Amino acid sequence: MSDKRKPDPVDVIIVGLGAGGGPAAKVLSEAGYSVVGFDKGPWLRPAEHYSGDELKFQNRSYLWPDRDLMPRTVRRDENEEAQIFNFSPVPSNVGGGTSHMAGWMPRPRECDFTMRSLHGDLDGANLADWPIRYEHLEPYLTKVEWSYGISGLTGAEVGAAPRSKAYPSGPLPPTRFGKKFYEGAQKLGIDAFPLPMSHLTEGNALGRPAVNRTSFWNQYGDPTQTRSSTATTYIPDALATGNFKVRAESFVSEVKVDKRGKATGVVYVGPDGVEVEQDARVVILSLGSIESSRLLLLSTSALFPDGLANSSGVVGRNATFHEYIFAVGLFDRQVDEPLNGWTGNYQSGGSMHFYETDESRGHIGGGIIATTQIGQPINMIMPGRPLWGQAMKDADRDYFNHSMKIGFILQDMPQETNRVDLDPNVKDAWGLPVARITNKPHPNDTAMSKWQIDKNIEILEAAGAKRTMPVYLGDRFTGNACHQHGTVRMGTDPEKSALNEWGQAHDVDNLFVLDGASFPTAMGVNPTLTIMANSWRCADYIANTYLKGRSERLVLPKLERA
Amino acid sequence: MTSKADWQIVPVDIDPDTEERLFFSEHEWDTIEAAGARIIPTDHDPGAREARVIVFIDRYLSGIDFHYAAADGSGFLQMAGKDARAARARNRDMRRLYRDGVQELDRLSVEQCGQAFKEAGEEVQDHVLEQLSGERKPTKVSLTSREVFYSRLQGNTDDGMPFFQTLCMHVRQGFYCDPVYGGNKDRMGWRVIGFPGPESLRDTMDGTYTTAPHFVDDYTWEDLIGFTAPEPE
Repeated sequence: MSDKRKPDPVDVIIVGLGAGGGPAAKVLSEAGYSVVGFDKGPWLRPAEHYSGDELKFQNRSYLWPDRDLMPRTVRRDENEEAQIFNFSPVPSNVGGGTSHMAGWMPRPRECDFTMRSLHGDLDGANLADWPIRYEHLEPYLTKVEWSYGISGLTGAEVGAAPRSKAYPSGPLPPTRFGKKFYEGAQKLGIDAFPLPMSHLTEGNALGRPAVNRTSFWNQYGDPTQTRSSTATTYIPDALATGNFKVRAESFVSEVKVDKRGKATGVVYVGPDGVEVEQDARVVILSLGSIESSRLLLLSTSALFPDGLANSSGVVGRNATFHEYIFAVGLFDRQVDEPLNGWTGNYQSGGSMHFYETDESRGHIGGGIIATTQIGQPINMIMPGRPLWGQAMKDADRDYFNHSMKIGFILQDMPQETNRVDLDPNVKDAWGLPVARITNKPHPNDTAMSKWQIDKNIEILEAAGAKRTMPVYLGDRFTGNACHQHGTVRMGTDPEKSALNEWGQAHDVDNLFVLDGASFPTAMGVNPTLTIMANSWRCADYIANTYLKGRSERLVLPKLERA
Repeated sequence: MTSKADWQIVPVDIDPDTEERLFFSEHEWDTIEAAGARIIPTDHDPGAREARVIVFIDRYLSGIDFHYAAADGSGFLQMAGKDARAARARNRDMRRLYRDGVQELDRLSVEQCGQAFKEAGEEVQDHVLEQLSGERKPTKVSLTSREVFYSRLQGNTDDGMPFFQTLCMHVRQGFYCDPVYGGNKDRMGWRVIGFPGPESLRDTMDGTYTTAPHFVDDYTWEDLIGFTAPEPE
């Protein structure tokens, strides 16, 4: 049933109000354009809805997508029958992933943008350079750090790319397990530093209170404004202009196009179940890499039978997910001081020492490591923990305060066959085919996992762990990092990419994708800061160039092969 | 209101000492309580029985009224709309799993000793749980063994597991959850493992509950990272 009350057209539609949509909403509404932002989930109020309730947030999925309403399916390759699995569960609400994320906000490095030039063809992978370089992003990284709110120890990252401004907030204090990590790293000559985080500390230059010291962070919403979220920063900024409207619990089912192939707006189902059309001059997708590609694939028409913006056939392909793997160290309660592995701001010290390629390791690329919480009591992370009986009770009592872990964000290689498409059998609560993820590790991923987790074990041993436990990447990804990229890659060649350097579809010039979907390669850092900065950069282009009736191309500097 | 943002708070609280059963029959209550006591046994510290894990599980199975505590612990959220329908459907499956599970515990127990599970001795009960799990009873974690593991999804929902694994998960939840859910009576589960935990959920919302004393306070960044970070310009 269609609603006869068609809302007035607006300048810009943004679908998805997390890390990608938030900055775009701010930039475009502050530039004076009328903007409507859609999110299929609710608009929760942090001070009213969030608290340190482990059962609710970690076990009963208060923020994570309900697996019966918004299922996904996964298979390892096309010979396998896809199974329903809560793959890469990012909250579907206003704020998106920024409502639950632990909060790592490291900057990328220059090498992240030129993996293809640096490494050429890697068998079985589909490496590509980004159509931008670090220098294009740098001013926007700074803008995000200073408006969203990020803490860090300026100058502490050895080998960092240049930055134009210090952090607006000092770093978070170390935990006891953090201190152990620094000790272990120093013994081995590994550079370690307090990773930048979206948690602020008292006395920050933004004047924001930072009272939350509960240590409830990963997967929890923050009832205070200690940790930044788009729902408490960019969305209110956008609303303050009077040019921005939020339509929560409104599920966008299709991007519409006219006969000339221009996007005209979207079709959505509102909270009352009624289908409505909203027209706009520009449509921005920022649902996260899985759902942005799904929406493009759902938006078929006579002009675009294989999905919108997909004449290249790359939509859904080259998906990367950053498996989170780690090593755990057990200490001896009889002799070792407590480590309080449940304290801290999730991570408590990290390193980018192994970030850039060193081919002597047997793999290319690298990633970020950090010592991270073992979690709260119910879900305390201890590989192989006994399932029941005295052995389980003893394990909890002996190691809850006497274990630590060092995690790794695995930079997986893009592969054409690792992809998102539409599941032929499973539908969501709105009756549409769900995203089916086909995904298996590249040999480089497996090699990187082995090498780095073994290195993390060395650090644990140097820190005094009595027993260590490696947790490697297995024969498939689980999506446990909740990072998503690559499915609508940017590039300079319209035959090999779906978007140009502004996140603008090659096929549909008023359609933009401003989330991790545009990333040609996964980077080794957590993606949120880069998603935000890139969204801001592209939104600037939309506001100041595209909507003024002009176009521009970025000129890439000549690269010197090392 | 159907919007998750507007779910009403029903101001009820759960008395952990209650004997009032909302879902289980008396026999089921006793059986699950007995099984819980083998999953987290009582030793010099309290176990699942003392922490009132049975109350936690009974309330959870009773429907969806105790699914989500209000953020400040002042009651429970009245779920509505799509989320409520999905949770109710899962609840129906979960009730079935428990009803069948209790029967299975009794069947295995009668086979072994001629008595219902709740009346069997601890050794028989453990053996029944071994049979149900298909594995030997876990042995103490040793600091000298070596094992290799592979990554998995963090966050543990109770979807789609067999009865025994589900029960183990729920017993653990009932032992360590916020006491607002009826288990972890007097925060005794937290005390067993040395987790301070908040006095109330409300205390986690405004800075009242702080873990700051458990951080390191005597440090310099120079010592930790091994050099002096250059002053920002």
